[in-house]
Amino acid sequence: MSEILAKSALRELANEWIAQGKVVAGPVQTKPGLVLYAPLGSADDIVLEGFVRPANSAKEFVFPRHDLLCRYHAEGNRVDLTNGGADGAPQILLAVRPCDAAAFPILDYVFNWDCRDESYNRRREATTVVTLACAAHDESCFCTSVGLSPQAERGSDAMLLDLGDEYEVRCLTGKGRALFTGTTQTSERTAPPNLGPQPRFSPEHVKQFVDEQFSNPYWQDATLACLGCGACAYTCPTCHCFDIVDEGNTCRGERVRNWDSCQFSQFTLHASGHNPRPDQGSRQRQRVLHKFSIYPDKFGEILCTGCGNCTRNCPEGQGMLTLLTGIDHA
Amino acid sequence: MSEVTEFEPKIIAYVCNWCTYLGADLAGTTRLEYPSNVRIVRLPCTGRIDFNLLIKAFEVGADAVLVSGCHPGDCHYTAGNYHARRRWMLFRDLLDTLGFDLRRIHFTWISAAEGRKWQEEITRITEQTRELGPYRELYQKNGFRRPAPPPPPPKPQEPAKSAMAAQEQQLRETCTRLLTDGTVQVVIGYGAGGPVFIRRTDDVGKLVWNSDCQANLTTYLKRKEVKRLGKAAIVVKGCDERGLVILEKESQIDRATLRVIGMACDGMGQSKCDDCNVRQPRFADEIIGKAAALPPQAPHAVALDALMQMSPAERMSFWAQEFERCVKCYACRQVCPLCYCERCIADKNRPVAIDTSATPKGNFAWHITRAFHLAGRCVGCGECTRACPAGIPLGLLNLTLDRAAEKHFGYQAGMDPNAEPLIGSYALTDKEDFIR
Repeated sequence: MSEILAKSALRELANEWIAQGKVVAGPVQTKPGLVLYAPLGSADDIVLEGFVRPANSAKEFVFPRHDLLCRYHAEGNRVDLTNGGADGAPQILLAVRPCDAAAFPILDYVFNWDCRDESYNRRREATTVVTLACAAHDESCFCTSVGLSPQAERGSDAMLLDLGDEYEVRCLTGKGRALFTGTTQTSERTAPPNLGPQPRFSPEHVKQFVDEQFSNPYWQDATLACLGCGACAYTCPTCHCFDIVDEGNTCRGERVRNWDSCQFSQFTLHASGHNPRPDQGSRQRQRVLHKFSIYPDKFGEILCTGCGNCTRNCPEGQGMLTLLTGIDHA
Repeated sequence: MSEVTEFEPKIIAYVCNWCTYLGADLAGTTRLEYPSNVRIVRLPCTGRIDFNLLIKAFEVGADAVLVSGCHPGDCHYTAGNYHARRRWMLFRDLLDTLGFDLRRIHFTWISAAEGRKWQEEITRITEQTRELGPYRELYQKNGFRRPAPPPPPPKPQEPAKSAMAAQEQQLRETCTRLLTDGTVQVVIGYGAGGPVFIRRTDDVGKLVWNSDCQANLTTYLKRKEVKRLGKAAIVVKGCDERGLVILEKESQIDRATLRVIGMACDGMGQSKCDDCNVRQPRFADEIIGKAAALPPQAPHAVALDALMQMSPAERMSFWAQEFERCVKCYACRQVCPLCYCERCIADKNRPVAIDTSATPKGNFAWHITRAFHLAGRCVGCGECTRACPAGIPLGLLNLTLDRAAEKHFGYQAGMDPNAEPLIGSYALTDKEDFIR
């Protein structure tokens, strides 16, 4: 037995949620050939088929690229601070990919580790994740290599699976159940399993290589084509590095948190001028190290969901998959 | 009282120390009255006034900006104002495309003896700005909905595979020869999965030539990881080759040691190739193949024309919507062969020159800076637009400056190896019909 929902009913539901004042975000055809996760003006904006996955990641709805932490105003000996950050307004992420949804529980660890990140958690708690299982994959997809799949339920409050003119609805948490209660019909139909892409590498092997082969020339040789931009990190569902900066002057301004990327030359630059990661080889190695060794050691999770955005968005066609499948020949 | 009568325009004047500042001083000492709406910022020379300052003035709430310096021929530093004039000519066109209200940006020459002219100009600018009202359109989206895009142009023809295969074969042979006889230590070329750096003749088979060879590889010439590999041969298309002309002129490459392999190209079947005007390499050491005629259409130019048909406020909201998607990944900068500064102004943090935040302010500041630093230098290879993960049509800004360079100076970057760089030189005849 399963629950089903007509495709048209899903759009009606989305419009209802929007009418209730909730922020509903999902894949939007921003321009020809470009689908991005974005807030929906109405359910007409959402695109549900005809693409592999959006070019950005859904993380920006819980960890925005620019987050106001506080405003300051200093006058004489007096300093006034006003809190910024998330207001915790309810939001629904609709038709996100399983590789985006799976990133949320992985990110929860780091934002609740040595201190509880208020801004992140406020948004996270106010967010309901409705995943749409993948029907297609491309040559950049590698979720099956990191233990996920096109129908992985991790991180989803509810999952939709395509049945043609209907969706099978799997409510996985109370939050997901609350969205769909009374809207679905029971049915005998269930979605067939989708195995997804063949696994392309083993994360254990990657961890072993990066731990043991820190000085292997492979890192330099395989990363010559990397230009040091942040397109991979900024479209990655799990990359979460940030920089805190004050913008304004000494009297009045804002303290903000902006995304940062380990691929930038300035990321590790010391005030002395010394840079412990002086080239793209060591920066790419760090990216692999963090995702496949440091994070698993600390939190027991691989910091990668195999979405393939790094490869699709790399101007030079590089990315995790290229680097990691190359290890076998190193 | 209604809001209109309450409005007092705020005007920021960037003036040079030697002429206009003294002119303003003279106005004061001779008791000439002028509106108190102007805030003067004194700088050594108009040639030293960074274009970012004009933008900053608006960001902090100015309703109009004035830039003023010595009359031509009077510059304390001989030619600072000539350099400034040339930059403003280009910069005004860029601001126009971005939708800034040019009626709020003023340029004058006021000498130390022209106290009265200062009085008149400040009075005129204040009154004009008062009529325009407060500048509210800055970085505003204003609910502007982009008009339905025109139907996409017919997909450019895929280049003939057989001709490319023959070129590929010849390319491999050439590279084998260059590596074998020790002319070069590395070949920077295209591989199946992106750029490859071939150091051994055994690997020459990894070089490919097909319609995926879109990247402009000359950007690798600036990277120290690649420089370390020794003397290089580089595979370029006609468009990429134009960049080498600029890089050589700016002393970034040594053409005596760099071996250039030019690939004739009929376009890669990609939109970035639609506006191409050089398909046959001209200066390469080895030229492989013969390109067909140029395509008749130029869709990007059409897109820019359409943009310029809109009102300035609509253009600004167009860009505000486009820049809203910018995540500041700097892929546009990193792929650009001509963005080679060791430390980009965007990375300067003591003090911060450009907000790192992906906010309207930070994004406009970055994209204005990126585009203008390429004024008279951009060769139109289209890599910035291709690299942008957010699909921002950055090339339109470069095209604006390209057109401005051609319109005002008859200059096309990277076409004539003997041409003086546009920025960094000046002519006494540069037109100044916008300067009072």
